[in-house]
Amino acid sequence: MTCPRHDALSAYADQAMKSAERVRFQQHLQSCPICQQQLEDLQALRQGLRALPSPALGFDLACRLEGRLQQPQRRHRPWPALWGVSDWMPTGLAAGVALISGIWLGGLLLGGSTAVAIPRASMVRVFDPVPPGGLCAAAELCRMSKGML
Amino acid sequence: MTTMRALHHLDDDECIARAQRGDVAAFSELVARYQDRIYRFLVRLTRSQDDALELTQETFLSAYQALARWKSEARFSTWLFRIARNQAFDWLRRSKRVEFLALEDEQDLGIADPAPTPEGALETVQRLRELDRALARLPTEHREILLLREIEEMSYDDIADVLDISLGTVKSRIARARAGLLEKMPR
Repeated sequence: MTCPRHDALSAYADQAMKSAERVRFQQHLQSCPICQQQLEDLQALRQGLRALPSPALGFDLACRLEGRLQQPQRRHRPWPALWGVSDWMPTGLAAGVALISGIWLGGLLLGGSTAVAIPRASMVRVFDPVPPGGLCAAAELCRMSKGML
Repeated sequence: MTTMRALHHLDDDECIARAQRGDVAAFSELVARYQDRIYRFLVRLTRSQDDALELTQETFLSAYQALARWKSEARFSTWLFRIARNQAFDWLRRSKRVEFLALEDEQDLGIADPAPTPEGALETVQRLRELDRALARLPTEHREILLLREIEEMSYDDIADVLDISLGTVKSRIARARAGLLEKMPR
């Protein structure tokens, strides 16, 4: 057997090799000083890393966080969640006011236009084309105007 | 620890269930259980005790906020490490740095100066310093996977969960990280 790749050696050191593969590798290991040395290096590395000092906080972090743990779901939210009923309140209120204002303004507009005197259809007849020889398209209206004058 | 840990008899899942119902004490118990592991991981990842402290706090606050989304099929510790790691990388992006530390800022993280000790002890301290420096020089993705495997003693499956990568990638990345670290160690 040729020397396995470094991946396989590393997996062997972690006991993460499949059993058949592991048996084959163990047989190779017995006769390969290079792989033996590499395996020893990996094991020494592990021991060294585990021997590094382990920094600890040294105080109760939960106590420090206590004030900030009282209101879950409230932090880091740039805008209110769309599904929160309470969060809908200001939005709903604003929408309601806008709707009522719209209806009111619309009503004013429509009401105003009815209030403006719409010329009756008969009066508009003065603008009709004047028949040849005539002075007024609607004689009765012209007379009325004269009378009023 | 200054507070009494009245809930220390509960397992993680029970603490989480209580915390999800609004029991702050149950969440505090989880903080007490994992604060030092998360802090240790972040100190070694960021190479800064101040940043690690800040990120540890943010990790637990994020976990608390996301507790409603936690599903029982996930292991709490794995989930927490994933949040911690993502916090660290977000912080790295925000600070617009490529790596956690410039080499000239290197510092020994708590490896005491060798006192007058027998030859063997002196050699051990020296060797640990070299290892610590070599670890600091590793690319972050190699450093983090070695921290999870060798110091936190996580399984390949858990590492795959924390880093959100496949098992095959875990295996090959660990191997490359080890080879890289050995290369950086003086012979």
